[in-house]
Amino acid sequence: MTATDDTAAWPRETAAAAPGTKGPRAGRSALAVQVVLWATVLVFCLVPLFLVLVISFGHKIEGAGWEWALTLENYQRFFVGANWPAESTSLYLGQLYWSMRYAVVAALLAVVTALPFTYLMTRQSRRAQAVWLVFLLATLSLSEVFIVMGWDIILSNNSGLPMLFAATGLTDWLKDTGWFDVLRDWGLANPRNVKFKPSEVATVLTLSYLVWPYAVILLYPALSRLDPSLAEAARTMGARPWTVARTVILPSVRLPLIGTTLLLFVFLLGAYVAITVFADPSQHTTAVSVYEHVRGSTLNAPFGAAQSVILLVTATAFLVLGQWLTRKSPRAA
Amino acid sequence: MLRALGAIFMSLAALVVALPILIVCSAALNGGRTMFFPPQDPTLARFGEFFVSEPVWTRALTNSVIVAVGAATLSVLLAWPIAYRLWKTGSRASTMLATLGSIPFAVPPIVFGVGLGFFWAFLGGLGTIWAGIISHAVLFLALPLVTISIGLQAIDRAHLDAAATMGATESVTFRTIVMPQTLPYTVSGFFFALVLSFNEFIVMFFVSASSFATVTLQIFNSLRNGYTPTMAVAAVAFIAVSIAVFSAVARWGDLPRLMGADQSRN
Repeated sequence: MTATDDTAAWPRETAAAAPGTKGPRAGRSALAVQVVLWATVLVFCLVPLFLVLVISFGHKIEGAGWEWALTLENYQRFFVGANWPAESTSLYLGQLYWSMRYAVVAALLAVVTALPFTYLMTRQSRRAQAVWLVFLLATLSLSEVFIVMGWDIILSNNSGLPMLFAATGLTDWLKDTGWFDVLRDWGLANPRNVKFKPSEVATVLTLSYLVWPYAVILLYPALSRLDPSLAEAARTMGARPWTVARTVILPSVRLPLIGTTLLLFVFLLGAYVAITVFADPSQHTTAVSVYEHVRGSTLNAPFGAAQSVILLVTATAFLVLGQWLTRKSPRAA
Repeated sequence: MLRALGAIFMSLAALVVALPILIVCSAALNGGRTMFFPPQDPTLARFGEFFVSEPVWTRALTNSVIVAVGAATLSVLLAWPIAYRLWKTGSRASTMLATLGSIPFAVPPIVFGVGLGFFWAFLGGLGTIWAGIISHAVLFLALPLVTISIGLQAIDRAHLDAAATMGATESVTFRTIVMPQTLPYTVSGFFFALVLSFNEFIVMFFVSASSFATVTLQIFNSLRNGYTPTMAVAAVAFIAVSIAVFSAVARWGDLPRLMGADQSRN
């Protein structure tokens, strides 16, 4: 890696020497390019987010659009309801709770299953790795709508798994052994057959599937830089595979592991299609609510903006928490 | 024993990842109007509908292609000077600019989508296709930024030294060394942005304001009316494009390196 670092440092020296040789015109046009770049990035990357923040303090006019204002009524509505203190509702807080719950469970599930997979993948030849990467990148880039469509076919009641369960007699077997009642308690069965839609299990599985390739791609650099001689040394000294994994591999990828989980979490906070298709309406998330308020039936842009801000704050809070956690703990080798 | 377990685990993972995709793809062969699995009365007629005869889908496909190519081109053009400046000076300002440019990719897409919806409403671009192109270019700016930066860092120091010794000016060095050596990385960045733009829909949903539809939007809009095999054809087409693009990147670029693999081991 030192070679790369040297190359990166090289042009800096010349850059420091160069200005004296440049004419004033070149300097001026370079400056112009800089101004244009900064203006473009600021206008297109930051202004939209800034607008969300400003509009979240706006006021909704009944039966019409909204107007600029500086009111906290949207935030009040989110936390305690519009008619507070007369009455209070935790509907929107509940939605945020579901957002976080889905995101946490799905992110953890993805990371826990992706870790051994990625480790095994990095032990393969470079060519095999490239093939895996092509496969993973292709599934990763596939639109959420297609993935939800696929899982919907697999899990929906008239086709896919429930039909397969009934046809193969698995349903009857479950009924005989008493597992069927357990499944009903979990909301995974109706009186006649198993059902996966709507259910929390289906939602979490689909979300987890959605981010699984991301988990592999994000863990890949750390695991591929892992020195194999460490694990080999531990093996020679008689450590069992599980001990090697626990004492050598896991500690050295702890930071990327935390980082990956957090990134997946943030990504999943904004998931939309999977939730609307697989989750029960009583368990819908803030992202769904944002959508309904900005573009859906209720049309209350300021409230939608306020919810977006809260979503963004939640995401940032978790990222900062992760930073703090990793910095506080002793540095991994 | 352990090796066999590992192999089983990997094949199982590959199977689960491929399963929904395979099912969607096979559903594309259905003869009727409804999605069945396994497909009934298999036919390739749906492919004709998607690519040729159904105006709803051909229009959506054209829009998707225009937006994806436009956005990928624009984001590469914007990313190049930012990444070059960062590599050349390494100054705090250039780092800051690159970080700011990556923000749209880092925030939850629904938040940036809502913001862009307001943004274009004020500028009067809401619902126009060029607003869609610019929005996606900004959203995916981070991808070419990263790949081009990786490419710039991979340039062999000896070549730059040689050029400097022989008195090459900055523009000559740029043309003869920097450009050719970073070309695979630039192309990779272009394709990453292209494929992700092709498949993105939530930002496009807020920006298009229902006045034009890309393929993913069209599918999303028809989700409530149930699936048709023609949608599955769209899925087949999209996954084919992704595989083709990433295979090309793997073939002519260095995919493991782009993904951050260690260089010393092969």
